[in-house]
Amino acid sequence: MYKKISRLQKLMILTILLFCIPSILFALSADEIIGEMDRLSTFETTYSTGSIQTTDRFGTKTSQFKSWSQGEKDSLIEFTSKAERGQKILRTEGSLYLFYPDAEQLIRMQGAALRQSMLGSDISYEDMTEEKNTLDNYTAKLEREETFKGNACFVLTLTAKSRSVAYPVQKIWVDKQSFLVWKAEYSTAQGRLLKVMEVLETFKSGERVLPKQSKIEDKMKKNSATLMTIDSFEANPHLDRSIFTLENLTW
Amino acid sequence: MMTKLPKIAFRNIFRNLRRSILSAVAIAVSAMSIVMLFGLLAGMEADMANNLQSYYTGEVRIQHAEFEKYKRYNPLHLGVDWKSIEPILADNHQVRAATARINFPANMYLGEKQHGVMGVGADFSSEEAFIDFPSILQEGRLPQEGKNEILMGFALARDMQLGLGDKVTLLSTTATRGSNAFTFEIVGIAGFPVAGLNANSIWAPIDRVQKFLGMDGQTQEILLLLEDGADEKQTAIQIANEIESKLGTATDTRSWTELNMFYGMLRIAKIAYYFIAMFFFVLGSTVIINTTMMVIFERMREIGMLSALGMHGSELTKLFLLEGFFISMIGSAVGVIIGYVGTYYMGKVGLNFTEAFSGMDIEISSILYPQTSILTALVVWAYAVVISTLSTFIPSRHASKIQPVEALRYV
Repeated sequence: MYKKISRLQKLMILTILLFCIPSILFALSADEIIGEMDRLSTFETTYSTGSIQTTDRFGTKTSQFKSWSQGEKDSLIEFTSKAERGQKILRTEGSLYLFYPDAEQLIRMQGAALRQSMLGSDISYEDMTEEKNTLDNYTAKLEREETFKGNACFVLTLTAKSRSVAYPVQKIWVDKQSFLVWKAEYSTAQGRLLKVMEVLETFKSGERVLPKQSKIEDKMKKNSATLMTIDSFEANPHLDRSIFTLENLTW
Repeated sequence: MMTKLPKIAFRNIFRNLRRSILSAVAIAVSAMSIVMLFGLLAGMEADMANNLQSYYTGEVRIQHAEFEKYKRYNPLHLGVDWKSIEPILADNHQVRAATARINFPANMYLGEKQHGVMGVGADFSSEEAFIDFPSILQEGRLPQEGKNEILMGFALARDMQLGLGDKVTLLSTTATRGSNAFTFEIVGIAGFPVAGLNANSIWAPIDRVQKFLGMDGQTQEILLLLEDGADEKQTAIQIANEIESKLGTATDTRSWTELNMFYGMLRIAKIAYYFIAMFFFVLGSTVIINTTMMVIFERMREIGMLSALGMHGSELTKLFLLEGFFISMIGSAVGVIIGYVGTYYMGKVGLNFTEAFSGMDIEISSILYPQTSILTALVVWAYAVVISTLSTFIPSRHASKIQPVEALRYV
């Protein structure tokens, strides 16, 4: 009744099984992908310089900045271009403070003010406060695997656990090798597209691949796009911890 | 017979004096209301014109040609060059005064609190022709050029519990489409006539606002006052052409009447009010119509007798029409006189709308002063007489159609 399987056929089946087992055994869950993505984009400390180039209905403007960061929560940006020289943005423990050279008080951005655009760009202050502990705020679901601009990617949907986050739904394309987010679509819970981010260029810091130039488009604005470019990047430099204090901001 | 009709009609008024008085009172109340309404409207119109010219647009306003198009984006980079336009205005004999202003929305920060305000960068020396600052200054003094000082509307200061010497930090969008914050000291508290200005305006020296918003030498608008008798629209066109030919810059230069939609609406509303007045009088006239009808039924025997004696139907119509005319004339006159005196009194003491207007963003003063006009009073009187008299035409015609035989049945 049953046809006897030849030795060659047995060998082929065994080979196929051997190839499949690692991918079954080592397939990453959505949470593991996000965890790895967060881990690789977070440094103990960083120092970088770069620019924000905003194009809108009135033309193009560029602002230069210097930036320092520490862990997941602390960062400081200081603008160096003429129009905004001396202005600083401090993010610490989920709070955002603005320092202006001619203002005697620090401005703490909170509530609806956080949705305002930073320097007229497509980046909001709320975007700046987003912390790199994605799984605390979102539930991740692996949708599929897809090639994006020649890079094999996981496509995940992140759904907000609470209303305290900037975007209720995020759809992200995460590189299968480097865990770099190549593209992100930010939407409302009802599916209305709010913002799109796409990495145009990358650079390597050690073994990690990081975005060198990203394009952000606020879909609520017409004909508007922002290019954020990192000109120089230093991983884990020695930073004085007082950099991220309010006292230092006004100094 | 014709010459005796007015006499008979006048005498008939007194045959039932109470009813005639009732009719006259209805007309009088209508006429009085309309005179007062028109007085209030005239006061509102004059007040709004004054406020718009002083605080908002001048008689002519010059802006960048594209500012209005992108107004909702607060495009401060679309400014006009005050220094190059000023000499052109100085050479124009139609221009009595000119001043530069920068209007900007800002967030005012007081510790953890924040409040949306409307900032105005002003040159307080050239503003003298536009705003009588000494008369509206309640406390302190005017801000000085070169200093981070502000004048604040009294309602805003009261609501935010601020006073002279307090400091506030303003955050706003700049001309480079970035943001900036400045700290200003309150040196003056002003009681502006317009509720909106009291509730959310702060005024600072224009040089500091230019620095704050990154508008070096630029201004958001230039306001002009013209010599008496100058045609605002024509002068606006002429100035726009002069600026364009001398500087090669296209501007949006318009007269205040073209700029203020609400003022235009107020003028349209005035026409609508004439129709409302007509309805008022028709309503008031229903009493006369009713009275005349009653009179006709009461005097049926008399009408039959007069007809039998040879009085024509048209004469009967005229008789009752004249009765209505006399009642209307007297009622309207009384109403107009009371309305005129009442309006004159309110024009002196003013009507306080502070509570009603609070929170409303309209360019009308909180205290309104109705204006009297003899011409308006005469027009209302004539209008009331015509409408009321015409209203009595319907029952009067009925009298002419009564057959003597039918009328004599009442004998």
